[in-house]
Amino acid sequence: MSKFKRVQWMVMLLLLVMVVSACGGSGGEGNSASGGGSGDSKNVKITLLNSKGEILPQLEEAAKAFQKDNPGITVEIQPVPTGGSPFERASALYASGNPPTMIMLDTGDVEKFKDRILDLSGEKWNKDTVENATTATTVDGKNYAFPLAVEGYGFIYNKAVVDKAVGGSFDPTTIKTRNDLEKLFQQIEASGKKALVISPMDWSLGAHYLPLAYAGQNKDMAEVDKFMASLKTGQASLANNPVFNGLMDTFDLMMKYNIDQASPLAGAYERGPELLGKGEVGIWFMGNWAWPQINSFDTANKEYGFLPVPISNNADDYGNQEISSAVSKRIVIDKEKTTPEQQDAAKKFLNWIVYDEKGQDFLVNQANIIPAFKNITLPAADPLGKSIQDYIAKGKSEQSMSMLPADHWSKTGSSMQKYLAKQGDRATLVKEIENYWKTVK
Amino acid sequence: MITEKGVWNRLRTRLLFTGPTLFAFITVMIIPFLYGIYLTFTNWDGISTTLSLVGIQNYLAVFRDIEFWKSFGLTLKYVFYTVVLINVIAFMLAYVLTKGLKGQSIFRAGFFLPNLVGGIVLGFIWQFIFNNVLVYLGQHASIQSLSTTWLADPDKAFWALVIVTVWQNAGYMMVIYIAGLTGVPNDIMEAASIDGANSWTRLRKMVLPLMVPSFIVCIFLSLQRGFMVYDVNLALTKGGPFSSTQMVSMHVYEKAFLSRDYGVGQAEAFVLFLMVALITLLQVYFSKKLEVEA
Repeated sequence: MSKFKRVQWMVMLLLLVMVVSACGGSGGEGNSASGGGSGDSKNVKITLLNSKGEILPQLEEAAKAFQKDNPGITVEIQPVPTGGSPFERASALYASGNPPTMIMLDTGDVEKFKDRILDLSGEKWNKDTVENATTATTVDGKNYAFPLAVEGYGFIYNKAVVDKAVGGSFDPTTIKTRNDLEKLFQQIEASGKKALVISPMDWSLGAHYLPLAYAGQNKDMAEVDKFMASLKTGQASLANNPVFNGLMDTFDLMMKYNIDQASPLAGAYERGPELLGKGEVGIWFMGNWAWPQINSFDTANKEYGFLPVPISNNADDYGNQEISSAVSKRIVIDKEKTTPEQQDAAKKFLNWIVYDEKGQDFLVNQANIIPAFKNITLPAADPLGKSIQDYIAKGKSEQSMSMLPADHWSKTGSSMQKYLAKQGDRATLVKEIENYWKTVK
Repeated sequence: MITEKGVWNRLRTRLLFTGPTLFAFITVMIIPFLYGIYLTFTNWDGISTTLSLVGIQNYLAVFRDIEFWKSFGLTLKYVFYTVVLINVIAFMLAYVLTKGLKGQSIFRAGFFLPNLVGGIVLGFIWQFIFNNVLVYLGQHASIQSLSTTWLADPDKAFWALVIVTVWQNAGYMMVIYIAGLTGVPNDIMEAASIDGANSWTRLRKMVLPLMVPSFIVCIFLSLQRGFMVYDVNLALTKGGPFSSTQMVSMHVYEKAFLSRDYGVGQAEAFVLFLMVALITLLQVYFSKKLEVEA
């Protein structure tokens, strides 16, 4: 009997040891994964959480190229699962005590992380950025984030289709007013194609289309900020706002010529690039990130470009000739769990992207990104990027609204969908958007 | 049966067998649950390093959140239809497939199969069916109701969700009903038929009362699954069109992680937990009273 008891105690002890060591083990592993360099200072391992899924293979190639130039540093790219937001993934990783060294965040997320990430104000690239690239991520005079990409959006046209419609080489600068746009729609329809397709995703309508009404209020961003503040307090009225109404009048026009009129909410994102690339429609409201998809259907010999979204019939009104663009993705460096060696390696990697020839090649030619740095003079590799660079160079760019509340796109996007499906009129839309802003903290 | 003498000996034996499970249960269920309740009293946003206690403000916010109650109402409607349809269909399938049909095990496996497909994959498959296959059929066979996609219309999208859920779960419940049906003692049925009861009477007076334990389990499972539905909702409609099919789990998730209002989201999750626990416990308690002995 006593022998049996001893066995029991042994088993229990063993179990206890196993449980305790399992807990300790995972903690230790976490440390060694994030603090890779602490043991031998030769090899530093850093990780980058990538939330720009379309450039994952290019980023992995870039990591390899960087490692070749910097022996002793290993860069590992971690993807954000499709459908997940970078904020969500990063906060989960922080909660588990194992954050990546570098995180690619959306602009509006950066401020939330400011207690946990490194102040990057001292980095050399800060003075080489394009205008407004770091204002949104600067808190109390400290810049916390590396601006990775400039992205822009508007009406993308298929040059082959519009050339045929206008009977000659199409000049995008001829579209300055809503009437010009409608005339172009009619010409496209007359040439036997459909004018345009509206992609009904809430993010496209809520994060891209509707914000044109905010950003178009004034050329001066400080005035736009004031307008946003008055929306929150409920003082600003959208119903009498000329920019909002002008934008929605243009939306009405788009709805009139939409290829998916019969069931406007049925389309999925994938339908847009296919219709545009194959030349079944002439115009699609989307941004330069759609290039890889358009390219895979291309029938226009890679000739595409952007048209602004006109908001009135006065060619001189602000917004009628401007393309909305802004720095969209940011890279931040963790300071909680990373060692100084890892932080240095991460900074080196960011500098490599900006100043090394191979880094620039990755950014512009491989990943099709419009760089946010003035010193990078490589021309954009794709027609949509070129078109946006062109607008920016001419000073015809409107700052995109990248600091909207995180749920803005889904809430107002669904209101826009309701309007698109004709389940609510403009008064309903105005009411829903105004109510949304009143609930924002 | 624990036969050891003395408190310590008993405790030791218990710990030996239940200890590991208890340890896992406490660390991964109880502690996070309690910590979650603590978070409902804070203003945490999910990432910041500082948080302060805000009392019951988050709970007040739950009661002011119209969208939450709207999605809860929609979920109730969804639960009602899915529970009824799942159980009626599952029972009918089980009844037919215990009659000794030729190839009935193949049918059983076939009906069970959808349950093995993950909700996300299943949602995407059905999204394709609703958006493309049915629309194609509808347009070519001139069936008005199918010629545009169901998922773009609030009412039809709701029914699409119900259909997919029933399709997914009926097979699983069918298996439980089959087990229940085969457990009905043959001698009773035989005695009943000798006494002259026809098959309808036998079903009503013998089979159904003896099957009450199966009904308790199946209704409990389908209730709980219905309230907690997320994956099919996400993959099939994403809550659309215009948030009209957003179930309550999805709303809670979006509140916590999309609106970055972790405290309120967590409070809503806790309120939801209380209500679902209450409803399911009441269901089990009252249906237990219907149980009979063979």
